[in-house]
Amino acid sequence: MQLKDNKHIGIGFRKDFSEEFLASDVLKPAFIELAPENWIGMGGYWKKQLDKAAEKYPITCHGLSLSIGSPDDLDLDFLHKIKKFIKQYNVQIYSEHLSYAKCDNAHLYDLLPIPFRKDAVKHIISRIKQVQDVLEMPLALENVSYYTPVAAEMDEATFISEIVNGSGCNMLLDVNNVYVNSFNHKYNAKEFITKLPLDKVSYIHMAGHEQISDTVIIDTHGEAVIDQVFDLFEYTTGLLKPVPVLLERDFNIPELKELQGEITRMETIVSKTWKKEHAIA
Amino acid sequence: MPLLKEDTHAQQSKLAHYCKTGIKPDLIGVIEENLHHYRRLVFNIGIDTIETAYPITYRFLPDEIWDKLVYDYYAEHKCKTPQVWRMPLEFYEYCVEKDIQSKLNMPFLNDLLHFEWLELEVHTMDDMTYPSFTTKGDWLNSPLALNPEHRLVKFTYPVHILAATELEGKAGDYFLLMYREKESGKVQCMDISILYAYILEQLQNGITLQAILTEADTLFQINDFEMLKEHALNFINDLKQREFIPGLLNT
Repeated sequence: MQLKDNKHIGIGFRKDFSEEFLASDVLKPAFIELAPENWIGMGGYWKKQLDKAAEKYPITCHGLSLSIGSPDDLDLDFLHKIKKFIKQYNVQIYSEHLSYAKCDNAHLYDLLPIPFRKDAVKHIISRIKQVQDVLEMPLALENVSYYTPVAAEMDEATFISEIVNGSGCNMLLDVNNVYVNSFNHKYNAKEFITKLPLDKVSYIHMAGHEQISDTVIIDTHGEAVIDQVFDLFEYTTGLLKPVPVLLERDFNIPELKELQGEITRMETIVSKTWKKEHAIA
Repeated sequence: MPLLKEDTHAQQSKLAHYCKTGIKPDLIGVIEENLHHYRRLVFNIGIDTIETAYPITYRFLPDEIWDKLVYDYYAEHKCKTPQVWRMPLEFYEYCVEKDIQSKLNMPFLNDLLHFEWLELEVHTMDDMTYPSFTTKGDWLNSPLALNPEHRLVKFTYPVHILAATELEGKAGDYFLLMYREKESGKVQCMDISILYAYILEQLQNGITLQAILTEADTLFQINDFEMLKEHALNFINDLKQREFIPGLLNT
C-alpha cells in the first residue's frame, strides 16, 4: 500500500471532524480509514465530503457489521456492496473484527465475544475463506477487546492464531485492545503479543480507552492514547515488518492538533523501529 | 453439517438475547460482574442512534414512555440492516406495525416519526442522476425536469408546520415537498396545497403543465383556467428559483 508522503500513520475519518480536517492541513495522516457501513449508499453532502477525502488520501476500510463470528449465514448481498465500495475507492486494506455483531437475524451494532472454542475456529475459518473468495482480496481480522470470555475452551492467543493460520487471512493487531485485555484479564501484554501470528500482521490500530474501575477498562476510542499503550506499541513495532498504523478516535474529539500530536509521536516511534522504509507492501 | 456446534451457537444466542433484553442469561465461564457492560454498550448505541434520528419525538414524549418504547423495540425487534444509520427506519416501521400511536393515544405519532425519518433519508439518500434539460422552450407544453432527490408526502397532521405540542385536533390533508439542494446538500421543506401536490405528482409522470391544468380545472372544480394557470405558473416559478425545476426535459 502506497502511503502519503512515505509516512505510516493514518487517522480514522469521522464525520465529526471531516469539514475541519479537509479544509486545513493541521492533520497530516498517511491515509484515512473509514467504516464502509457508514458510507455505502450515502449521497449528498456526505458523499461529497468522502469524495474530497478520497482525492487527498489513500483509504483503508474497517468494517463493523460483517459479523465474521456469527452463527448466522454471511450476508452476501451486503458483502457484494462492500466489494463494490472497495473497488470504487481503490481500498487496499479491508479489515474487520474477530467478534460477532449479529445473531439470530438481529444486528446488535456492537462487538460481542466469540466463544474461544475449536468448533468456532473451524466455523470462522470457513467464513473467512468465503469472504476472501467474494472480495478477491485478503481480509485482516482484528483482535477485539472483551470484558468477559464466554464458554472458552482455549486461550485467546491460541484462538486468534488458529483462525489466522488456518484461514490464510491477515491480522490487524490492535495494540490498545491487547493492553485493555491484559488489564481486564490479568495477563502480560508483551508475552501475549509474542504468541500471535506476527508474520501475518498487516495493519495496526492504536486508540485510547477509559478505566472505569479498579478492574475494568472499556475500549472507548474516546480518550488520548496513554503512555503505556505507546510503550507497548514501540515494543510491538520492534517485532514487526513495517505496516500501516491507524489512530482511532471516535468520540470526544479533541482539537485536531492534539490528534496530530499523537500521530507525530507514533511516527517518531516507527521511524526508529522501521528505519528507511518508504513503501509498505 | 454445520461446523458450529449447537451448544456454542446457544451460548452466542444467549449473550445476544441478553444484550437485546437485559434478561440475565445462563452462560458458561463468564465474568458475571462484567456482563452488564455488553448490555449497556449495545443498548446505548441503539438509543443514541434512535434519539439522534428522532429528536422531536424524543423531546416530546415523556421520558418513561420514550424509554419503554425504545426498550420494547430493542427487545422485540430484530434489526435487519447492517448499517446502523438506516436502523431508525426500522424503528418507525415498528411503531407503525405495533400501532404505538393508538396505544399512546397520540394519533400524530406515525406522521411525526415519518417526517423526521424523511429528513434523514432525503439528506443521506444516494445521489440520483438529474435528467437532461434545457432552459429554453415552451414551459406549458413541454414535460418539466425535476430535481429527482425529493419526496412528495401526504400527512394527516401538519407535523412539518406545527410543534408537536400543537398537533392535537389538527387532523386534515397536508402535503409536503421535501428535497435536497444539489450543490449544498441541504434539505428543504415546502408545505404545499393539495392542488400543487397534484400538479407535482403529474409533472413527475412527465405530463405537461397545460394538460395537468386542463384536467385540474375540472377535477378541483375551479372553472377558471386563466386564474389557475396564473397561480400554477407562480408555483412553478418558485420551484425554478429554488432550482427544484431546473428546466424543460430534453426529449
